[in-house]
Amino acid sequence: MEASGVVFKGSTEGLSIIVPEEYTADQLITEVSGKIQANARFFRGARLKVTYHGIRLSADEEARLFKILDEQSGAVIESLNRSGTGAPPSAAMSASRRGQTPAPLRRFFTKGQDESDCKFIRTTVRGGTRIQYEGSVVVVGDVNPGAEIVAAGNVIVLGLLRGMVHAGAGGSRDAFISALKLKPTQLRIADLIARCPDDPDTPGVYPEIASVRDGMIVVNPLYERS
Amino acid sequence: MGEVIVITSGKGGVGKTTTTANLGVGLALQGKKTVLIDTDIGLRNLDVVMGLENRIVYDLVDVVEGSCRVKQALIKDKRYDGLHLLPAAQTRDKNAVTPEQMEKLCDELKEEFDYVIIDCPAGIEQGFKNAIAGASRAFVVTTPEVSAVRDADRIIGLLEANDIRNPRLIVNRLRPDMVRRGDMMTIDDIIDILAIELIGVIPDDENIIVSTNRGEPAVADAKSAAGLAYRNITRRILGEDVPFVDLTAQENILTKMKKLFGFKPA
Ligand SMILES: Nc1ncnc2c1ncn2[C@@H]1O[C@H](COP(=O)(O)OP(=O)(O)O)[C@@H](O)[C@H]1O
Ligand SMILES: [Mg+2]
Repeated sequence: MEASGVVFKGSTEGLSIIVPEEYTADQLITEVSGKIQANARFFRGARLKVTYHGIRLSADEEARLFKILDEQSGAVIESLNRSGTGAPPSAAMSASRRGQTPAPLRRFFTKGQDESDCKFIRTTVRGGTRIQYEGSVVVVGDVNPGAEIVAAGNVIVLGLLRGMVHAGAGGSRDAFISALKLKPTQLRIADLIARCPDDPDTPGVYPEIASVRDGMIVVNPLYERS
Repeated sequence: MGEVIVITSGKGGVGKTTTTANLGVGLALQGKKTVLIDTDIGLRNLDVVMGLENRIVYDLVDVVEGSCRVKQALIKDKRYDGLHLLPAAQTRDKNAVTPEQMEKLCDELKEEFDYVIIDCPAGIEQGFKNAIAGASRAFVVTTPEVSAVRDADRIIGLLEANDIRNPRLIVNRLRPDMVRRGDMMTIDDIIDILAIELIGVIPDDENIIVSTNRGEPAVADAKSAAGLAYRNITRRILGEDVPFVDLTAQENILTKMKKLFGFKPA
């Protein structure tokens, strides 16, 4: 399969679609449709403000793109704009969401990620369990699919991570997530979201750490092997 | 004093009722006084699988409401010495019984029976809470499918939260041919996620459907592969150390040739 030219970038602000300059609207729509189907689980139930970058669409083409997103993603598409037009997503989002979202985790702990309270969990965190903590979380065991860990600080899993982990949930991009085997359904650090890239069946074989570099979540081996 | 074991799964249709019926008959065949309780109020079918439908007079709701004594509601299975069924009510709903009532009932039954086996409804709501209320042990049934395993994982978490420790795993409807082709989750894949101890693996077996329709659980059928698997689980319940047979091991040349010539491998 040829590499896809269209890039999706997710954050809690919404979804950015980055389109190569030379793309036609038809190419864009075909690729977006394919990507959405491949990532259906990621979008389901979300409310998204979508911006696209690097291409100009006519009103008609934009309507087609909207239709595809709306019908195929399973998400509620709140808006679709070319980047640089419309209200800045963060402002619009916080205004429209205020009152609905659960109280934000206190930023207090997230100022210094190196020192915060820590919660230890000594069992497997099973599907359907949500752990929310205003500090760091250490799991001595696995985090299974369907489980959620939301921490203001860092998250360390001494086991196989297959669920969803959100570190730096109070907004700190300095937070990190580390696991002996990292195969999450999704990782979030502060306002950034990343999906597990390859096929979910083969667990990672060495410990890894996810952190933010240049505004993106990157995953590296915990020990650089020589 | 007897033991109360709940058979549960989260997802429907994975084999809880089949398992309850077979383990009940299996334990009775081993000489244990056993009572099966169908807690799937409104969707009862353990009585049908056991072939006892036409003998129901009173049911679980009658018992907890005090309309009859426990003894009156128990249906004695004449084919298997010591086996009894307490059927669910068909015309009521799950809220007709409370967890406290179930706990009291189980306490009463385990005075007299060696094993009380509870058939749990699907889901995690009232019916589930009733089914686990009086139990001290749990068997979690799953099929080798991602969705069933997810639900099993959720159920194990809820069991642990309700102080039912160390549930055991039953994998039902395994298709060795599909596992060998890599088209089905392996037992190891499942245990890897659920991290609980296995107590049995039941192959997918059409005998189950035949025996279910006849109301004669397969465990009593010497020729059924699923029946053998249920007999092994029964022995493990009684504390015997029965080795696990690898159902997915490659067949040897001899069995293949016998098959080609139309013999049934022993
Ligand atoms: N090992 C098996 N092989 C073939 N069919 C099975 C097997 N176990 C269960 N079944 C069939 O699957 C269906 C659902 O089983 P049941 O025990 O009623 O599930 P549950 O009580 O969990 O809803 C029934 O039709 C049953 O005959
Ligand atoms: Mg059932």
